[in-house]
Amino acid sequence: MSDAGSSRDSGLLDRIAARLLDASVLERLAIAIASTGLALLIGLVIVAAAGYDAIQFLGYVLEGSFGDSSAISRTLKFTTLFILTGVAVAIAFRAGIFNIGVQGQFVVGGFTTVISILWLAPMVPEGTVGGIILLLFGFLAAAVAGGAYAAFPGALKAYTNTNEIITTIMLNFIAIGAVGWLVEGPFRGEGQAAANTERIPEYVSLPQIVYDVPDFSIVGLAVALVVAILISVVLVRTSFGYDIVTSGYQESAAAYAGVDAKRMIVVTMTISGMVAGIAGAIFAIMIQGYYSNPGGIATYGYDAIAVSLLAANNPIGAIPAGLLFGGLDSATSYIGLSSNIPPELIDGIVGLVVLFVAAPELFRMAARRTGLGGDDR
Amino acid sequence: MTDDTRTPAVRLESISKRFGDVVANDDIDLSVEQGTVHALVGENGSGKTTLMSVLYGLYDQDSGTISIDGEQRTFDSPRDAMDAGVGMIHQHFQLVEPMTVMQNIVLGHEPTENGLVNASAARGEVEEICSRYGFEVDQHLDTPVRDLDLGVRQRVEIVKSLYRGADILILDEPTAVLTPQEVNRLLDVMEDLTAAGRSLIFITHKLGEALAVADGITVLRDGEAVGTVNAAETSEQELARMMVDQEILSDRRSRETESGDPVLEVDGLRVRGNRGLEQVRGIDITVRESEILGIAGVQGNGQSELVGALAGGRSPESGTVQFRGEDITGMNRRRRIEAGIAYIPEDRQTQGLVQDYDLVHNALLGNQTISPYASRGFLDWGAVRDHAEGIVRDYDVQPPNPSAKAGSLSGGNQQKFIVGREIEHDPDVMIASHPTRGVDIGSIESIHDRLVALRDEGLAIVVVSSKLDEIQQLSDRIAVMYEGEFIDTVDPTNVTEEELGLLMAGRDPDAEDETAEPSGAQA
Amino acid sequence: MSMAGYARQNRLRVGGGVALVALVVLLTLLLDLPVDDLLTIGFVERSFQAAAPIALAAIGGLYAEKSGVFNIGLEGFMIFGAVNAAAVMSIVGGSSPGQIDLWIAIFGSALTTLVYAIPFAVLMIRYKADQIVAGLAVWFLGLGFGPFTAVIIWGSTNSPGLTSVDDLTVPVLSDIPVLGPILFDSSPLVLLTLILAVAAWAVLFHTRYGYWLQAAGENPEALDTAGVSVNRVRYAAVIFSGVMAGLGGAVLLAQAGSFTGTGQTMVGGRGWIGIVAYLFGNYNPIGAAAAALLFGGLDMLQIQFQTAGIEVPNRLVNLFPYVIVIAVLTVWGSTRVPSAVGESYESEE
Repeated sequence: MSDAGSSRDSGLLDRIAARLLDASVLERLAIAIASTGLALLIGLVIVAAAGYDAIQFLGYVLEGSFGDSSAISRTLKFTTLFILTGVAVAIAFRAGIFNIGVQGQFVVGGFTTVISILWLAPMVPEGTVGGIILLLFGFLAAAVAGGAYAAFPGALKAYTNTNEIITTIMLNFIAIGAVGWLVEGPFRGEGQAAANTERIPEYVSLPQIVYDVPDFSIVGLAVALVVAILISVVLVRTSFGYDIVTSGYQESAAAYAGVDAKRMIVVTMTISGMVAGIAGAIFAIMIQGYYSNPGGIATYGYDAIAVSLLAANNPIGAIPAGLLFGGLDSATSYIGLSSNIPPELIDGIVGLVVLFVAAPELFRMAARRTGLGGDDR
Repeated sequence: MTDDTRTPAVRLESISKRFGDVVANDDIDLSVEQGTVHALVGENGSGKTTLMSVLYGLYDQDSGTISIDGEQRTFDSPRDAMDAGVGMIHQHFQLVEPMTVMQNIVLGHEPTENGLVNASAARGEVEEICSRYGFEVDQHLDTPVRDLDLGVRQRVEIVKSLYRGADILILDEPTAVLTPQEVNRLLDVMEDLTAAGRSLIFITHKLGEALAVADGITVLRDGEAVGTVNAAETSEQELARMMVDQEILSDRRSRETESGDPVLEVDGLRVRGNRGLEQVRGIDITVRESEILGIAGVQGNGQSELVGALAGGRSPESGTVQFRGEDITGMNRRRRIEAGIAYIPEDRQTQGLVQDYDLVHNALLGNQTISPYASRGFLDWGAVRDHAEGIVRDYDVQPPNPSAKAGSLSGGNQQKFIVGREIEHDPDVMIASHPTRGVDIGSIESIHDRLVALRDEGLAIVVVSSKLDEIQQLSDRIAVMYEGEFIDTVDPTNVTEEELGLLMAGRDPDAEDETAEPSGAQA
Repeated sequence: MSMAGYARQNRLRVGGGVALVALVVLLTLLLDLPVDDLLTIGFVERSFQAAAPIALAAIGGLYAEKSGVFNIGLEGFMIFGAVNAAAVMSIVGGSSPGQIDLWIAIFGSALTTLVYAIPFAVLMIRYKADQIVAGLAVWFLGLGFGPFTAVIIWGSTNSPGLTSVDDLTVPVLSDIPVLGPILFDSSPLVLLTLILAVAAWAVLFHTRYGYWLQAAGENPEALDTAGVSVNRVRYAAVIFSGVMAGLGGAVLLAQAGSFTGTGQTMVGGRGWIGIVAYLFGNYNPIGAAAAALLFGGLDMLQIQFQTAGIEVPNRLVNLFPYVIVIAVLTVWGSTRVPSAVGESYESEE
């Protein structure tokens, strides 16, 4: 058996290599790099046109994302969220479902985390043990809440054929408004002047290893990586994952292969929402510590769409893509503080990236003209 | 007519056209005299539609010439053909459904006044055409096309072509979707058109209609023109013989085993189609071990819906399907796969394969919950790869590369792969829907060999096909499907091709009267 | 088709509609809503004003989708329209622009949106971009470059107060009871929107271009063999949709008087609601405008409740439009989408 095993291993390496060098994977990688590069280039041109120093801008971007230890921890903090939300989007997009509601599912998940921890805290001993119990409970609650919030538009799509793009966007607005109201009113912390919930207990937090900053823990990043890998394994190595991916490619073939299309839609959306919920939990526990007006939270859920598209909807690809966006976001806060260049530019660059990813034909035609590209398939 | 020395309205000379390794038209000559109806007959796949697509500008011929009214023309697009006066009435109408009849007829050539469409001018012109040729389409001018039945829609298409100035009209299987009354209406219309000087080319496989209305008939078979005859001087039998006479494929394979126990039993099945109309109207079937049941018939008589109900894609309105004694009428597709029902789908490109997947991933299609490829939810890609390699090897899939994308394979090889995959299921019953459509001769042979070998090993097989020779060679029993019912069940050893052809066209050769009467046969 | 026939075919929709109306009536009775105080002329006037930007975007989006190209970037175009109008107003009128500056701004904004819409159309049609993703991209671009433009010009994502459009009083017509004050003694932009809606309807259903547009979206092959360039028709439709959405944004700005670029910007989802409006209106410009009016009314309901003295949490009332959108979509969502939407068309073989 060991012989077969070792030949399987070298076979595995061969296959990984073959996979990476596979024309379509290479092509997607090339498109991702070309899109980002072109978008950044255009961004620099706009910066220069607006009268700022483009080189300086580029310098700020690099400094702000990886310049020093605090920049790196800031980048990794955002990366954690982008990986998780990116994976959430990827699951749905892979199945051919446009879940634009990750932001809302993220908010609902995070909010549920905070109030469920607050609710359970008195019944659980203080200290590390209690902290871990509350942590796990919080994550669980987030997953359930996020999953349910996504299952609803999923069911609408599956059973009444309602366009999920619009329903999920509307639900985003609704989540932000409803949670905002809850935080202002019924769930406002005692004696809080601002519209915030109470803080979750100190001992409910992710351990500070390597980086000793209040809003980032390597454990959080580890959770994100684990989720990405887990989802990737599901997609690639399980029957269920095969069903999902096939549904995304050709629904008729999936039906032929026995997939129940309606059930598939609802289950996929639920899982997508669950991951988004967990992202919200990490946001609540690791970064914020309480819940406040969600209108003020950055647009992780929307940027996650860009992350996923850049990663060609591949959960493992969401890791480097998440890192890229994490760096960009980190640079945004740095630029906002240290220079007078409007950080909103970076949001614009994100838009350009998505635009180019939307039209790979653009790059293919360019590649053909310049003789770079091979044949399609 | 034959003494006429007028230039023909249409003359096709030595037209050849191939797609990949399939030769669709091989050196075909066709001549249509002015003011006549010329029928083009042949089975599905004989090359009729391709030839006409060349004539009306959709395809460029590989070689040969087209002459309209004696003048040689090249058509780069249907628009060029239209300018030359050649109009095509497609089988699938090119009508914009939500728009009215009037809007459809004048589309692209609307008369305008001050920017707005001059509805009254348009109406006048259309009414003029209608009265000239005897249509009553003008009573429907303001009705949206989607509210009209197919016979009326077809006449709208014809008026549209006339409005655009067509002198030569090609009608592609126009009666395929019409009721008998509408067919008669259409044949009358065709006579009116020719009386008014138009020339018509009538593509059909329904011999009776061809004889009823055509002046000249050209028979195509396997891409070649077998012969051209005067309608007045020939008969259905002669035409049928010209259409199906087959020497290339081998003789009927001899049967070695007897039928065994019933495996699949269908009782009173009624199934609705996509438009809500009943397409299967009470079918009874029994398929036994070691038996191939062939279901013959022209496409569109309910076969797709029947297959869907058997394989698990469609729920029947009423009736039951039993598999080895167990009622599976309500069972979904996945459970039927797991129960051992294999299915070679009608549409290999959208159903049978994921075009963007390689063959390894496609080998899993349908198998993804079955061991040894999956256990407890996890896939064993090694086993899947072995499976794919095995299929490629054993079923002669070219090129023999399991990492090739399915979409890059030719039709025949795709089909061989699908057949291999389904057979390797080790199923208890196999449903093969048009298993060799669009497949090259060599691959057809190999697929047929496989099916017969399986039958000999004890498998129960249902083959649905519109190819007469295939049905005849493979089947142990043949049921002919017409308009949702089995018009008759025959023994392939003592039925003739002509009889089969007639049955498929709706005419029961045993019936006394002329009209088709399905005998409500059991298969 | 008769009423009965229509009702039979659309059981779910008709049933849903009846249920919604019944619910509204019930709520009105149960909660003892002071209907008189709610349905004031002022409320209707404000509803029309709120509806105008949505209606413009809806009409544009409807044209695009009817031609076979789904433009979901309406929200992005609206943001650009709004910020560009504010920018032009600032540039032309300085710190206290007048009415003329405002109208120049609207016109200038429309021109700029035209310039944006052209490459977008090229990407969609010639480069066969994934329509959903490209639309999302335009949204992101709006969310990014909109506030960016604001910061460049005014140093903040919000503009300073500029000026809003003055009411226009049409003599004689404004004396008509009820309709008079609403339409003819109010924002001229409402009138403009109405005129555009009627014109769009006329073009779509009574001119050859309208016919071609419909054919392009339902059966492009039929149009092609009729001798009309499908892609040219689609280009026109997509560019038109971008310009209309931009105009909607400009109108929004003109009515508000200043640009707010924080969060979801002042457009706040109106582009998305515009899409739902034209679905609800069954791809008919007048129907879309009517649907937009419904959403405009819901938007203004919050203020109305306050005025009428009803105590409902503001934030929750603000959510009404979004909730209704989901309800409407669920019941009416499967209206006839043009058959060839999303498929790029190649006329050569």
